[in-house]
Amino acid sequence: MPDSAIILDSLEKWFPAALSGWKAYLNPFSPPVFPALRELSLEVKRGEAVALLGANGAGKSTLLRILSTLLLPTRGTAIVAGHDSVRDPSAVRRSIGYHAGSDLGFYARLTGRQNLQFFGRLQHLSDECVRQRVAALSDLLGLQKNLDRQARTLSVGTIQRLSLIRALLHEPGVLLLDEPTRSLDAIAAAQFRQFLKIEVLRRQGTSILFASHTMQEIEFLADRVAVLEEGRLRAFETPVALRGATSSASLEEAFAKLTGGSLQHSDGNSSV
Amino acid sequence: MRQLLRDLLVFFQRDLRIASTYRSPFVLEAVEALFGAATFYYVARFVDSPALRDVLPQGKTYFAYSLIGFVFFDYLNVALDTFDRSLIEARDSGTLEPLLATQVSLPVMLVGSAFYPFVATTVRIAVYLGWAAAFFGFPLRAANWPAVAAVLLLTLLAFSGLGVLSASYLLLFKRGNPGKWLILGVSGITGGMLFPVDILPAWLQVVAHLNPVTYALDAMRAALLDGAGIAAIFPQLFLLLAFAAVLIPFSTLVFSWALRRTKVTGTLTHS
Repeated sequence: MPDSAIILDSLEKWFPAALSGWKAYLNPFSPPVFPALRELSLEVKRGEAVALLGANGAGKSTLLRILSTLLLPTRGTAIVAGHDSVRDPSAVRRSIGYHAGSDLGFYARLTGRQNLQFFGRLQHLSDECVRQRVAALSDLLGLQKNLDRQARTLSVGTIQRLSLIRALLHEPGVLLLDEPTRSLDAIAAAQFRQFLKIEVLRRQGTSILFASHTMQEIEFLADRVAVLEEGRLRAFETPVALRGATSSASLEEAFAKLTGGSLQHSDGNSSV
Repeated sequence: MRQLLRDLLVFFQRDLRIASTYRSPFVLEAVEALFGAATFYYVARFVDSPALRDVLPQGKTYFAYSLIGFVFFDYLNVALDTFDRSLIEARDSGTLEPLLATQVSLPVMLVGSAFYPFVATTVRIAVYLGWAAAFFGFPLRAANWPAVAAVLLLTLLAFSGLGVLSASYLLLFKRGNPGKWLILGVSGITGGMLFPVDILPAWLQVVAHLNPVTYALDAMRAALLDGAGIAAIFPQLFLLLAFAAVLIPFSTLVFSWALRRTKVTGTLTHS
C-alpha cells in the first residue's frame, strides 16, 4: 500500500436541483447546480485517523460516499490506496471498509453470522476465511453470544458492531466511517472507540477517515481534523493545533470560531 | 466466470435461507396451486366443445391449453418484477449501500437476486402441473423435457432483458414502471395466454408476433403437450434467442447509463 491512504485533489461535487411533480421526470437529466464539495484537497497518511468535522450539509457524507464509489465526483480526483475512485472503483472497494453508521443494512430474517457470511463471500473471501475473521472480530467486540440471533432481534448497538465487523472482514487498508457511534449509548460508544483505536488503528495499522459530530470522539481518535464548511476545507490540523491556532479552550470552540458559528453556554451567554 | 457463478450462488443461498424462515407460504402456495388447477379444469369443462377443440393449435383440451398459458405467463410477471423488487428491497432494508461497497457490481447483484424468484416460479409451475396431472388428467406423459428446459432457459433470457429495462426505469425515476404494466397488459391479450392469437384482428396479430411471450408459449405448449423436440420448435427458440440477443445488451447499456447517472445525481439510494 502506498504511503498515502487517501489523496484528494481539487475534488468537487455538485448536485442537480431536486424537482417535484411531473418535473421530477426531468431529474435524471437536470444539470448540477448545488455545490456539496468545493476544491477539496487533502491527504490522509497510512495508519492515520482523520476526522471530518462540519455542520450538517458541510459535505462529510458526500465525501465518504465518493470515496466508497457510491457517488461520482463532478471534478477533481480521489485516490484511495493508490487507486482512482472513478477509473478503478473495484480496486478501491477492495481497499476500503465502509460503515455508514446506520442501524439498518442487514437482512432481518438472517442471523448476524449468516449476514456476515453473505457479505464476506461478496468480498470474495473463502468460507473458511470468513469464519475465522467473524470469530476473531466478534470475540474482540463481544458479539459471540448474539451472532446466531436473527438480525431483527438485535439491538442498535449490536447492529452497529456487526456493521463494523462487516467493514473489517476483508482487512481493508482504509476504513470509512460515517458517524459510527451516533445511535450508541455512552458506554457502547466508548467501547466502540476503544476498539477502533487499539485494534484497528494500532494493531492493524488501518487508516481511518470518519465523520463525526462528537468532539470527545474526535479528540480520542483523530490524529488530524478536517474542518469542512459548505463543502470547503476550512482547516486541516491536529486537534491541539486547531485549538492553538484559534486560541480556543476546546475543539468545539475552535470549530465554532473557524466556521463563524456561536456556542450557547449553560449560563445563557454566547461566545465566539 | 467461476467467480461470477459463485457470486450468483451466494445470492441464491441468501434468498433460499430467507425464504426458509417463512415455512407456511410453501404449504399455502401448494394448496393455492391445487385450487388454481381445479378452477381451470372446471372452466375448461364448462366451455369445452368440439368446435373449440378444432381451433386450438396444440392443446388437445382447453384445460391443457389455458393452464400452460396461465402458469407460464408467470415467468413474464417475475422477470418484469424481480429486478425492480430486489432493488427496492435492498434500498428499503438499507442493504444497497453495503452491497455496493463489496466486490460485486449492481448488475451481478440484480441477476443474482433474480435467481431464486425464477427457481421458485419454476417449482410453483411444476406443482401446478403436478396437481393438474394427478387429479385432472393433464397430459404430462408426452412432454419432451429437454425441449421444455430449452424453452425455459431462452424464455428467461428474453424476458430478463425486459426486467432489466424496468429496473433502469426505477433507478432513474424512483417510481413503478408504467411500461411494465403496458407490457403485461399487451402480452396478456396478444401473447396467446388464454386464447390463440389467430382469433385476434390482423393488426393485433402483428403486435403478437413482435412479442416474445407468443413464441415462448407456443414452444412450451408444443414441447409439453405434443412432445415436440428441440428441432421441431427451433424457429420459436431461434426467435426467443434473437429477442434475448437484442434485449440483453440493450438493457445492460441502458442500466449502466442509469446507474452512472444516479451516481452523478446522488439518487442511487433514494426512494
